[in-house]
Amino acid sequence: MKKRIRILVNGERQELEVECDKSLLDLLRDRLGLTGTKRGCDRGDCGACSVILDGKIVNSCLVLAVEADGKSVLTIEGLASKDGLHPLQRSFVEHGAIQCGFCTPGMIMTAKALLDENPGPSEEEIRAAIAGNICRCTGYVKIVEAIAAVARRNR
Amino acid sequence: MSLSVVGKSLPRVDGIEKATGQARYVDDLALPSMLYGRILRSPLPHARIVRIDTKKAEKLLGVKGVITAADTLKVPFSFPSHLKDKYPLEFEKVRYIGDEIAAVAAADKDIAEEATHLIEVEFEELPAVFDPVDAMSLGAPEVHEGVKNNIARKIEWEYGSIQKGFDESDYIFENRFTTSRQTHCSLEPHGALASYDYTGKLTIWMTTQNPHTVRDDLANLLGLPPHKIRVIKPPMGGGFGSRLTMDPLDVICALLAMKCGKPVKIINSREEEFYASRGRHPMTIEIKTGVKKNGKILAREVTAIADNGAYNSHGPRVVGYAGKMLLSLYNIPHTRFTGLAIYTNNPYGGAMRGFGNPQVTFASESQLDMISERLGIDPVELRLKNFVKSGDVAPTGAEITSCGIQECLLRAVEVSGWKEKQHERVKQRGLGVACMIHGSGAKGFFGDSNVSDSFIKMNPDGSVIVYSGTSDLGQGSDTILLQIVAEELGIKFEQVRIVSADTETTPIDYGSFGTRVTFAAGNAVKMGAKVVREQLFEVASELLEAHVDDLVAREGAVHVKGSPERSVPIERIARVACYDKGKPLAGRGFYNGPDSPSPDVSTYFGNTSPAYCFAAQVAEVEVDSETGLVKILNLVAAHDLGKAINPMAAEGQIEGGLAQGIGYALMEDLVCSKGVAVNPNFSDYKVLKAPDIPPIKTVLVESNDPNGPFGAKGVAEPALVPTTPAIANAIYDAIGVRITDLPITPERILEALNQKK
Repeated sequence: MKKRIRILVNGERQELEVECDKSLLDLLRDRLGLTGTKRGCDRGDCGACSVILDGKIVNSCLVLAVEADGKSVLTIEGLASKDGLHPLQRSFVEHGAIQCGFCTPGMIMTAKALLDENPGPSEEEIRAAIAGNICRCTGYVKIVEAIAAVARRNR
Repeated sequence: MSLSVVGKSLPRVDGIEKATGQARYVDDLALPSMLYGRILRSPLPHARIVRIDTKKAEKLLGVKGVITAADTLKVPFSFPSHLKDKYPLEFEKVRYIGDEIAAVAAADKDIAEEATHLIEVEFEELPAVFDPVDAMSLGAPEVHEGVKNNIARKIEWEYGSIQKGFDESDYIFENRFTTSRQTHCSLEPHGALASYDYTGKLTIWMTTQNPHTVRDDLANLLGLPPHKIRVIKPPMGGGFGSRLTMDPLDVICALLAMKCGKPVKIINSREEEFYASRGRHPMTIEIKTGVKKNGKILAREVTAIADNGAYNSHGPRVVGYAGKMLLSLYNIPHTRFTGLAIYTNNPYGGAMRGFGNPQVTFASESQLDMISERLGIDPVELRLKNFVKSGDVAPTGAEITSCGIQECLLRAVEVSGWKEKQHERVKQRGLGVACMIHGSGAKGFFGDSNVSDSFIKMNPDGSVIVYSGTSDLGQGSDTILLQIVAEELGIKFEQVRIVSADTETTPIDYGSFGTRVTFAAGNAVKMGAKVVREQLFEVASELLEAHVDDLVAREGAVHVKGSPERSVPIERIARVACYDKGKPLAGRGFYNGPDSPSPDVSTYFGNTSPAYCFAAQVAEVEVDSETGLVKILNLVAAHDLGKAINPMAAEGQIEGGLAQGIGYALMEDLVCSKGVAVNPNFSDYKVLKAPDIPPIKTVLVESNDPNGPFGAKGVAEPALVPTTPAIANAIYDAIGVRITDLPITPERILEALNQKK
């Protein structure tokens, strides 16, 4: 079964027919070609598919595409602008917070959602916020440092 | 010589593309009219395949092709090839739950999935065996026909006289340890995208740690000449050893593309990633050690039995390497090792970060603390008394060219506050230390190579492109190699770029594993860069009217030594060389050390690595004796990596390794019950999350290996090797119970505390 939905993706209006059993992740990756959002487990355990839906961080593999009807989605592709990288993206690069990079888009989106709500979080708050995002490479040390560096500038 | 690029914590070259989502991993790639593949795997641990009927699947609308073993050449494979026992699609028997039987290519993923359910397979179920000791016993089911007692491989050696060693010892300690089935959990699942064209050429984008050896394996299994296969590794989401042998998925993907005449993509599910991706072999390790009263270790006898699972993959090599490393850290005159890789009907193991070393180091470093307590010698002192040192030939024949283990241990102890904390005991808190040795690359142990080739091209604008066959799996090898080249050429880091891991555009490299890339590929690109530098100097000597011996390259220009005003920009030299002289600048460098003879084929004695890495780690824990929960308060990791080419990247390797080491110590275990993996997902198989990470201090010890590029050795695998025993020793120090089985769960701690009462 298909349903017509209207959705704002990275500020761009999209109107399209979607299968009712497809996830928002399927929609982003397979229909819209936004492959920056990663599929790591497809069951909400790893956080690699994290995107911001109406200001809230979600696992896009656990949201049906039809549920996003009328909503606004921000993915990693919507973060950098012509003026350059988002401060979180720059900080991740500079702090060595990226290794294989597969968790990075989801991690950065989760960090953005945190900082949007709480611009100057403590280290503990940062760790709690990214607790749903698995990174197997870095031990999270430099990821936390990268987010904390941006948070410090926000204070 | 002061360095301007090497030794700097530069951001990785692919950082921005990964931070912006522009890096395209295998599953991010698509080709026109691409199909989706899906594999039918065995639901049974051991069964004869009586009949396979694919007719219904083929008739399903949208299905473009179905393959079984009948579509293959029925050639077995492994890496290295003499351990071959696995077919890409099985035809006589299945030997574990997950074994590949058939595969489908269809217009979309849902149809492919549905079609696999329409394939009818008639099995004749066979008795199965899941415990390696049972598997060795008389009358056990044979996992592979004709393999007696299911012994895939037995490796034995004795150096010195073990009996004499025990006879002369004052004390003898005998202990038994068991380890768990850790899996890699790379965040990107295995995947491949294959395309076959009318010229008979196959191009395959895949998750691999060694594109060149995989190309040769694919050629063998597909019946194509190697030059008709192009393997490309796009950005890859981790590996940790899991992508070191070709996966049946890769062959299946290629076969489907060839059969259908359309590109095919297959991506493993997370569940498949757990039970079909060849994790760390569970081992039972019996270790007997003889010591003098003064703490000198005289003799050590070890038997390690590994659950190989259904197929070899790297099993026999893992067991052998474990023995090599186990008996190389300390100068023990009499040693004996028996390693057994035993077939069972469990998921099969393979290469995983550490390659057998984490298992045996858990056993040996735990036992050393038991010895130290009994002798009343401080665990640090006991280790210092017995370490190998630079210039030694270790008991196994390992030639130690550089060794910073003493400094590692002393620094780790100092940074952790070991001595102060011994005096200010806090109830239920404890400290533990553990050490390790690990080769930086290996060759000749099982007939394997350590080859790495490279080309370096300088463009007319003075920028450089490095061509290397190495595969950056996330550890940052592309960046490290570029730092080495920029330093050697005296140009800025921004001026170098790399093309890597593509069998058509890059020269051969044996693969990214064994902590070998910085050492082997680093030496290769350094040699190639040196050739280019010599060409630069030749032209510069004319331009500057100076002798080549008086020139030095630094920060983008060639200078006359002692007269900094006499210089010429490298950009100008490159332009003159290319356009005026018609001699564009290019170099080639290769490496295949060590030069020492390969280990003896029957005694295994000899040197396997061009250099050895060392590490000492200290863990501080607090154990709740009511709940059995272990909280890690601090971790200090001191690593001898020769020279840190990029300290930030090296720290990142260590920090990530520690997280995996903590997981191995406390919670990671793919539990298999009658061959069924019961926790194949991240809800039930726990890996560490950000709030679980304790404060970490890393110490980089630079022993400057004489043969390493700028003195460097590797650091990747060692990071997790001593973590688990350091934690086990700290738990003992805290609550006085010794846990000898991994993972050290709260249940095990409570049980041990109850028994102690």
